[in-house]
Amino acid sequence: MKLIQRAVPLALIAGLGLTGCTSNAQPSSATGTEAGGPIAVSSTDTECTLTASETSSGTVTFNVKNDGTQVTEFYLIASDGNRIVGEVENIGPGLSRQLTVIAGPGSYTTQCKPGMVGDGITQDFTLTAGANGTVDANRVALQEDAVKQYQEFVAQEADALEAGTGEFAAAFAAGNVAEAKALYPAVRMHWERIEPVAESFGDLDPILDAREADLEEGQEFTGWHRVEKDLWVTDASYTKMTAAERQEIADGMVTNTKELVSRAKEIEFTVDALSNGSKGLLDEVATGKVTGEEEAFSHTDLWDFAANIEGAKTAFEDLKPLLKGTNDELSATLTKNFTELETLLAKYEKGDGYVLYTDLTEAQIQELSAAVDALGEPLSQLTSEVVK
Amino acid sequence: MTGNFLIGLREGLEAALVVVLLLAYLNKTGPSHLAKRIWIGVAAAVVVSLGFGALLTFGPSGLTFEAQEIIGGTLSIIAVGFVTWMVFWMARAARGLGADLRSKVDDAAAASTGALVAVAALAVGREGLETALFLWAAARATGETWEPLVGAAIGLAVAILMGFLIHKGVLAIKLAPFFKWTGALLIIIAGGVLAYGIHDLQEAGVLPGLHNLAFDVSTIIPPASWYGVLLKGIFNFSPQTTWLEAIAWVAYVIPVMALYFARLRGGNSQPSASASGTHSAVVSAH
Repeated sequence: MKLIQRAVPLALIAGLGLTGCTSNAQPSSATGTEAGGPIAVSSTDTECTLTASETSSGTVTFNVKNDGTQVTEFYLIASDGNRIVGEVENIGPGLSRQLTVIAGPGSYTTQCKPGMVGDGITQDFTLTAGANGTVDANRVALQEDAVKQYQEFVAQEADALEAGTGEFAAAFAAGNVAEAKALYPAVRMHWERIEPVAESFGDLDPILDAREADLEEGQEFTGWHRVEKDLWVTDASYTKMTAAERQEIADGMVTNTKELVSRAKEIEFTVDALSNGSKGLLDEVATGKVTGEEEAFSHTDLWDFAANIEGAKTAFEDLKPLLKGTNDELSATLTKNFTELETLLAKYEKGDGYVLYTDLTEAQIQELSAAVDALGEPLSQLTSEVVK
Repeated sequence: MTGNFLIGLREGLEAALVVVLLLAYLNKTGPSHLAKRIWIGVAAAVVVSLGFGALLTFGPSGLTFEAQEIIGGTLSIIAVGFVTWMVFWMARAARGLGADLRSKVDDAAAASTGALVAVAALAVGREGLETALFLWAAARATGETWEPLVGAAIGLAVAILMGFLIHKGVLAIKLAPFFKWTGALLIIIAGGVLAYGIHDLQEAGVLPGLHNLAFDVSTIIPPASWYGVLLKGIFNFSPQTTWLEAIAWVAYVIPVMALYFARLRGGNSQPSASASGTHSAVVSAH
């Protein structure tokens, strides 16, 4: 019963004193021009009719008319079914009451309660985002932008991965060891940049990227690291693959990568997936790359390292507009720490790629590890800031 | 017609009962100017409610749902506090019934002129805004049909008539039991008002447990039935009562009632301050 009617005060006099002169008993609703206009609700003893089941969020007005014979009530209830967003009670037969609420986008339920008992007559009601140009609406737009940009990045990297994997697999199958060895770390960077996406496919990830040491019982050793071993291990105890075996592994990589790429392009991201993915990439660096475990035979861990950081930074950059004005401090810290890590990593560039992990000293590894940790801590705060 | 009549009756009764009991009490014990204070409070509440209701109905802006429920709920709970204070104040005054009754009540009341006005204003005002909104809606609908306004007006008129009859009735009761039972009745009514206020705050989301019902007898006592209306109008009885409401009612009524009767007994134990003293047992209404 919080009513806001905008009406000419004369309506009061007209209503009270000059009955019969006004054929419209609700002069207020005619002049109430909110965005989208008021929604008329007719509550009878058996029905609850709304002129719309959807409107834009913000200030929403319902003109509730009791067209029945029993006293009725009208409620707007939040989607959890418990919170009353607004209500008008005590609407006598023949009377109109207005309900004005301020509500955000989402799903709601409207409820008429003729006789004021029971669960009433309910139906779904939707408030769509954006009409009022509120801060929230702006954030929704920023979130959509971030997701869209990251989606494009994923699609781009996935395409590059598919093309690169084809080349690499062909060189390997043909026994062209030098070319395969050169392609290996470069093509893998496309994988590593979008690793959280690739890893989200629990069936494909082990086939393509499992390390020998991590294989579970019954799992076959296939994919990138199987090839890595064949290319780099020269030990007398290791038997190189035959041409037929190489072809089989290569075909498997191409087929599975194709499948992975098409699925990766289908994923619908949310901002928290971006920020969590960014943090996930950094964890990958900390647990695999900075320890030299990932590339046990090729020792090209720094390529993966760099690619992981690039992927993490892309997600952060896409999310950065959401921090503006809400947490500029975190934004500045992350920007600074990403730059410091990149600068540090640049010291180990060599040709088109990086020095081998085995060329790093213990002190250098410690330094890289410290820079990764320094970035990881503020990055873990990102999700809570962007989902606001 | 019937629906609007019953709403008018219910809202009218809710507001009238406390006032009637307060008035009757003061008529018995105090000089007539004390009763005037009650009427000042009532008049203030009616004017403010109607004005505020008209503003919200026809003005450029209104309250949010939460604000409205919080105001209604808080006013109800404050009203309970004042009525409780009144009951005990009257119990104390009852002990002073005697030769020097008038001066004593005067002394007591002199310090609480504002309080008497406030009790009456709150008792009426807590229901006033809701009633005013309902009445304005009825008034606005008169362009289409007279029925809602007529129904509501008849309901209110019947409520006032019932109030008047009760007023007459309680005045005809012997003095001693009168004090005892009007006080007790006020406590029960106040308990209902408290539960109603709690319900408002639950609807506003300030208090939890809106959907945890202690009992639901709405099929036996429909809120729209005449007996449902009377129960609601007199005792604020809700056929769908939440646990929190029920607990609040019991937690208020039982200790306050016990304390009240303890006070009355305490009063009777003092010979010079007995409520059943030498004063005339029956006082005519006017």
